Amino acid sequence: MRGRVDWILAGAAAGLVAIGALGILSAASPLPQYATIVQKHLAAIGLGTALFLFGLGFNYQIYQDQSKAVYAFTIAIMVAVLVVGTHVRGQRAWFRLPFFMFQPSELARLLTVLVVANFLDRRAKKSQDVLTVMGAFAIVAPVMVMILKEPDFSSTLTFFPILIVMLFCAGANLAQLAAMAAYGMLTLGLPLLWTLLSTNPGWQDAVPAGALILHLAEFRWPLFIALAGIVLAAYLAWRLCLMARTQLPGIVFAVAACVVVGGLCSAVLVNRQLKGYQRNRFVSFIAPEADPRGAGYNVQQAQIAIGSGGLWGKGVFSGTQSRLGFLPERHTDFIFAVIGEEMGFLGGMAVLALYLMLIWRIVNAARVARDNYGYLVCCGLAAYYGFSLFVNVGMCLGIVPVAGIPLPFLSYGGSNLTTTLFAIGIAENIYARRYALL
Amino acid sequence: MRQDAAAYDRLQILWVAFYCVVGLLGVRLLQLQVLRNVSYVRQAERNRTQIIYQTAPRGRIYDRKGEIVATSRPTFSLIYMPGKQQGRGDLAGLAEDLSSELGLKKETLLNSLNDALNEQAAVHLAENLPLKTMFKLAEIKTVYPGVDLVVEAQRHYPRGAFASHLLGYLGKLDHEGWKALRLSGYRLDSRVGRSGVEKIFERELKGRDGEIRMEVDAQGRLKRFLGREDWRPGGNVHLTLDAGIQAAAEEALKSSPSKRGAAVVVDPRNGELLAFASVPDFDPNIFLLPARDPSKAAAVRIPEFNLGISGTYAPGSTFKIITSAAMLNGRRVSADARVYCSGTFHVGNRMFKCWQKKGHGYQDWLNGIANSCDVYFYQIGLRAGGEAIERYEKMFRLGEETKIGLFGEKPGKRFGPEERRRRGKDWYDGDTANLAIGQGELLVTPIQMAGVIMAVANRGTIWRPQFVRRIEYSDGRGAYEPKPEVMGRVDLRPEVWDLLQKGLERVVEAGTGGAVRIPGLMVAGKTGTAQNPHGADHGWFVSYAGRPGEPPALAAAVLVQHGGHGGSAAGPVARRIIESAFWLKPSAPAGGTAAEPIERRLVEEGGAGAAEPGEVGGPRKARALAKTKPASTQPRPARPAQRPAPSVEISE
Repeated sequence: MRGRVDWILAGAAAGLVAIGALGILSAASPLPQYATIVQKHLAAIGLGTALFLFGLGFNYQIYQDQSKAVYAFTIAIMVAVLVVGTHVRGQRAWFRLPFFMFQPSELARLLTVLVVANFLDRRAKKSQDVLTVMGAFAIVAPVMVMILKEPDFSSTLTFFPILIVMLFCAGANLAQLAAMAAYGMLTLGLPLLWTLLSTNPGWQDAVPAGALILHLAEFRWPLFIALAGIVLAAYLAWRLCLMARTQLPGIVFAVAACVVVGGLCSAVLVNRQLKGYQRNRFVSFIAPEADPRGAGYNVQQAQIAIGSGGLWGKGVFSGTQSRLGFLPERHTDFIFAVIGEEMGFLGGMAVLALYLMLIWRIVNAARVARDNYGYLVCCGLAAYYGFSLFVNVGMCLGIVPVAGIPLPFLSYGGSNLTTTLFAIGIAENIYARRYALL
Repeated sequence: MRQDAAAYDRLQILWVAFYCVVGLLGVRLLQLQVLRNVSYVRQAERNRTQIIYQTAPRGRIYDRKGEIVATSRPTFSLIYMPGKQQGRGDLAGLAEDLSSELGLKKETLLNSLNDALNEQAAVHLAENLPLKTMFKLAEIKTVYPGVDLVVEAQRHYPRGAFASHLLGYLGKLDHEGWKALRLSGYRLDSRVGRSGVEKIFERELKGRDGEIRMEVDAQGRLKRFLGREDWRPGGNVHLTLDAGIQAAAEEALKSSPSKRGAAVVVDPRNGELLAFASVPDFDPNIFLLPARDPSKAAAVRIPEFNLGISGTYAPGSTFKIITSAAMLNGRRVSADARVYCSGTFHVGNRMFKCWQKKGHGYQDWLNGIANSCDVYFYQIGLRAGGEAIERYEKMFRLGEETKIGLFGEKPGKRFGPEERRRRGKDWYDGDTANLAIGQGELLVTPIQMAGVIMAVANRGTIWRPQFVRRIEYSDGRGAYEPKPEVMGRVDLRPEVWDLLQKGLERVVEAGTGGAVRIPGLMVAGKTGTAQNPHGADHGWFVSYAGRPGEPPALAAAVLVQHGGHGGSAAGPVARRIIESAFWLKPSAPAGGTAAEPIERRLVEEGGAGAAEPGEVGGPRKARALAKTKPASTQPRPARPAQRPAPSVEISE
């Protein structure tokens, strides 16, 4: 086995799990269900280790061979959870199993990476084709829609960076990716802009034509006029380019118009779906001091917790912010703040360093993978963990809006932890099989 | 099948980008945890510590015999300590539940709850809770975190409405006041002295509040004891007041005809105030009671006006003491000089009346002062001269604040030729006549009159009135004992003092002041009835008393507002004061055989009271009429003819 197992990757994962377990042990201790939490977490570590070993030993190429079955299984568990799942805090995202609750969306995310990797591998020759991008999105769309249906907006969000990174690494056409990105940014950015404008009347004057932009937020005649104007503008631009004898094909303008029109329409749809608390999260990120007891409270308390930790931290089991309950969601989404408070700058930097090491090793596995499939799977995994780290830690540090994305390895949550360890096992297997002929 | 090199380049780009992002997170971590650490540590500390303040018991206030007139007693208060995670939504429910229990308005409760949340500081929701409410609240306490019952020392005035103008009362701080005082240890819910001794000695009485530092969780529940600082009680203030005399004075004033008035009782030997009563008064406890409705409590109008120092009145016939001093000391007129009183007197073409319509007949000084004969004093006053009277008026410190140290003291108003000149106006003989009997524009306060009678009692010294005997500090400093302070001296020849004292004794023995004749005591005094253009006359009685053969131990000035005649309205008050001071049982104004004639005399005087000053039209009108004859500035040919010679007969 020498040279087969990436001990650095395994060590980094183990280190993160250890720090996370310590953080949860401390953060959850004042809670009444402390014993249950600790038991469940230790059970999850055990199960996760087993899955890690399974992933390590199980030939990853079988996932590719059985891709259809994997996809069918993914769809099946997502449909099942929507039908027979248990409601927890307004989300139908859980299976109630004999000893624990399982959140299938976590597993679905990993399985989606495997399925998309297979698809992109098959289309490696036609990676520049627009159908590659469309197809990848088409594969992911049902899963995303079902997760959105739970509803779990934050989890849905994590699919975008994974997909875009995988497409990017698969060598997809940059123009197509840009169009996709533009569409996505319109879809997500406009509702946020509308939220900001409607909650801060003063900004309507500050932003050029602010009041006018706000009129586009609903399916009424100003929106239709705007859509018609965009189509017309694209057409005129095309004619202009023809007259100027530039060699731009007409399809460019057609696609541009489609992206803008589609983006606007889906933005209006998303805007309708957005919940009040989701708007507040965003507003509180822009101006956290505006309502310290409202939506900005979490962010502020997390920063106080981290900042008060200092260089060495207050010591495990001694963080006042977390133990006295000032820090919300302390053992789940805000576990990094607990670590920052109790283990200080050194603890926080250790987490960042271990994560960097982890992703470095996954990227390395991608580089040395024997086939394109393994390469793409590693890219997808690296994208997910990198994105989670950035969003979660950035949220705790107050440089990213609050999104309910847990920090893999550290946050409490059995489904996430076991799936994550399983994924690391797969990455290990990809690394281990780098020289194998079969 | 392997990916081509270009794809690895793309992965490399992403890897570098991610590397930079983690670097950014690291920099931010450094910024929060190392660079801004101090500020966040402070915020975290503020989050977790809740300070429960313990109001220090205010210092006690004693009377001169050691009786407690203001103390502190333990009461139950309801406090609210805001938790960090409490939304305003929870407060509305809490306010609703509490409002029904406490009987307070929901809005006011919600306001103080919101204040507490904004300031992140504990507030008192209700104080001095009755036991019944307390048990009910004990349930609410378990439902709402942050609500707690604490025991606190609260001010209590055992005698209720007692010397209220001197003691003062406590009030809550408003927001502006708190901002100014927060550095000296005051909190938003502190009480602070609003008037009287409570205000003047606020610093000495306050003490230092204690605090218990507790660790609280986000819901405001107490978790752990962190430390405490014990309170230090405030210093005690010993007053010169004699509770017995004070109570007697207040009671007597309350049973006077108009139930309004002031009594200032001093010790003529050192100026210590023995009683300082102003009626109507108030019970300072009402500001500390559990208010059913704070908005109503704030609007409680208390009679804060202290008649003893802020009320200005014409001194009336009590001023004849000063006219007499001017006359006797000036050697211009002999005490034996006799004047005929026919009941009226003419100055120019103006007729001045004596209060006794049928006249007093021939009067020498002793009879004149005993009977308070106005005609006698008109003539004596004209002979002594307005300037001389004004000089003595000044010497007796009329029209001048005593600087006793209480808020709201008024100087009154001096009246005389010099004062007139100062304002660029003329002085007339009619004014001199008015001044001689204490009418005209002269305005004095009861405490000034106490100074006058004190000077007569001790033969010339006006002590500055003092109400503090000793202040005991709680921080181990030695006690402070103020020394008697001379405010002014009246230099009269000894024989003049003898005469004056004899005259005032005569007033009580056989004159208008019969109401205070007390067997076994030496009592002297002078009645006065101040004409008041706005209503019924004010009754004055100034007197001093002592055991026979000893220097007088008490001097009192009593004013009964709109009480009518001084002898009948203010006299009984003075009598009660003197009786209580010398440990005598209260008795009828005059017992035994002497009762009848005095009663009759009082009835007569009372009937003529309104006319006593001798002028039908009041001082204003009198001055206007008297203007026909300027006395000092422009001697006219007609002047000799206008001398009031015909009705004056001075016998040697």
